[in-house]
Amino acid sequence: MNVLKYIEALRRNMKTLSIVLIVYLTVLALYDVALRLTEAHGHYWIDTFPAYWSIFGIVGCFLLIKIAKGIAHLFLSKDEDYYG
Amino acid sequence: MDRWVHPAIFYFIGSLLIPFVKGKVKKFLILLIPILSVIDVAFMKTGTYGSVSFLNMNLIFGRVDKLSLVFAWVFTIMAFLGALYALHVKEDGHHIASSFYVGSSLGAIFAGDYLTVFIFWEIMAFSSVFLVWYRKEQRSIDAGFRYLLVHVFGGLCFFTGIMLYYYKTGNLVFDRILSENATLAEYLILTGFSLNAAVLPLHAWLSDAYPEATVAGAVFMCAFTTKTAVYVLARGFPGFEVLAILGTAMTVYGVFYAVIENDMRRVLAYHIISQVGYMVAGVGIGTEMALNGACAHAFAHILYKALLFMGAGSVLYMTGTAKLSRLGGLYKYMPFTMIFYVVGAVSISGFPFFSGFVSKSMIVASAHEQGRLWLLTFMNLAGIGTFLSVGLKVTYFAFFGKEAPIKAKEPPKSMLWAMGLTSFLCLIIGVYPKLLYDLLPFPVEYHPYNLPHLSEMLQYLSFTGLVFFILLKKLTPEDKINLDMDYIYRKGAGLFMKLDERVVGPLDTLWGELYRTLGLGLLFKGASVSDGVDRKVIDGIVDGSATTVRGTGSLSRRLQTGKIQAYIGFSLLIFFLIIWLILT
Repeated sequence: MNVLKYIEALRRNMKTLSIVLIVYLTVLALYDVALRLTEAHGHYWIDTFPAYWSIFGIVGCFLLIKIAKGIAHLFLSKDEDYYG
Repeated sequence: MDRWVHPAIFYFIGSLLIPFVKGKVKKFLILLIPILSVIDVAFMKTGTYGSVSFLNMNLIFGRVDKLSLVFAWVFTIMAFLGALYALHVKEDGHHIASSFYVGSSLGAIFAGDYLTVFIFWEIMAFSSVFLVWYRKEQRSIDAGFRYLLVHVFGGLCFFTGIMLYYYKTGNLVFDRILSENATLAEYLILTGFSLNAAVLPLHAWLSDAYPEATVAGAVFMCAFTTKTAVYVLARGFPGFEVLAILGTAMTVYGVFYAVIENDMRRVLAYHIISQVGYMVAGVGIGTEMALNGACAHAFAHILYKALLFMGAGSVLYMTGTAKLSRLGGLYKYMPFTMIFYVVGAVSISGFPFFSGFVSKSMIVASAHEQGRLWLLTFMNLAGIGTFLSVGLKVTYFAFFGKEAPIKAKEPPKSMLWAMGLTSFLCLIIGVYPKLLYDLLPFPVEYHPYNLPHLSEMLQYLSFTGLVFFILLKKLTPEDKINLDMDYIYRKGAGLFMKLDERVVGPLDTLWGELYRTLGLGLLFKGASVSDGVDRKVIDGIVDGSATTVRGTGSLSRRLQTGKIQAYIGFSLLIFFLIIWLILT
């Protein structure tokens, strides 16, 4: 199947793939900087900050993983037969 | 068409014919029922139909307006997709249960008064629980009972609310309630509705029961119960501030658990809570745009969530497990399932050109319009979590990642077709949102495809992907379960049993002993007293009654049932009988 071949090809070239993705992220953030600087958009004052949503994505995702996993390990996680 | 046919009729009558046909005819019938109902909805005109007078009350079975129609559309379409996916199911009872479930939710959305809603509400709970029980495992049976108990509780809240409402207003008309007029009656009804919408803290039944349902049953369940609840909330309670806040809390709460869950279907179940949170928040914000958004999101959500449950169900069906810690590398064996799952995942995450993008953003934009910055921030945070857990975590650990020693195949063709069709619908709504917007209750002036919005969505989704790959090791699924609100009644039930064992049980034994020693002793004394009073005249009779008493005593010992109420009642009866025997 063709899809399988493409996936295999991507998995073999992880390095190239990650470079492409990093370039994509940079372009995305820079584009937003250009967009916010040329016209005033945004939902509220902090949102007019260039590339705000990129930072929001990084910080939000990081906090979510850290807090969720932290609380899980603290007391939420139990063995599978906990309820019997 | 001036004559109105209730679409639920196809499901109620059609499903009863299923056991009487075999083979291809049966499959044809299972698919025909939803097709007929879709056609019925397509020809429906707005108006009020099916008014029935019952016990001096006016029951309305057919309130057809734009709000009920948009839900009817997606319910009947979903019923078809679900039926197609469930074609492999051999038990007739499963098909009958799912048909009654769909039929009763259609009944609830067309109902014009509280009593009719209530009747269909209860049929929904009692028919859907069979979709859990048909899994036929002890865990599912237990989870089904818990599901039922919680819904009976919700139904009771709802019913008490209806009674109080009738007492207050003298009618049962189900219409918009203004938050400033709401009293206990309205809040009880709201509680009943909220329980079905899995609003915090009444949500735990969902993540408890859905992952234990059958493969096909979960596909039905994820669509109807919560979305019927969203409909009734949108009908009766728009603009209730409490819904805006709790709804937003739900969006974050759901993704929080989804990040740490191990079971694929439980991750998805928590995402129902999260996504329904957006709709509940939309209802709570209550503007025309927010209500439109809630309806649009319900429509889109039913399709992509069903698609995700179909994908996860296929994995469970073919490999025997849905635990991420035991899966991996499935893309080689189930490429189609993987592709369809990914379509569902990008739809729920709100990627441009997929259905979530055009519906979720409507609610977020309405929060922005109202200046609700905190709601907006938390909804977008939940958006990050959605892509993180459903889009990246599940996809990576089930279909890629470390290869698990499981050899799987693609699921049966009917399941693949159902997934393919649903994927197509997710895509078409994303590309051509007018199709969906035209169905909405209010005119739409919202355009999702503008540059700042596209840039915003792509930025936070893409950078979420970056952080995911950096923290990949942190996210490795663990063979664990996580405590949630169901802890209260699952452990609470244990506490109750202990109370029964330690307090009620000994009391019961004590009562038994008391009866045996004291009661019989008193009776013998009574017998001897009456013996002394008139020894000469009724000597023989007293002798006889004493023997009877002794006989009854031993009989009652044998009849001990252990149930204290029955026991008290029974012993009182015997006691009075003996008194009567002695004194006459």
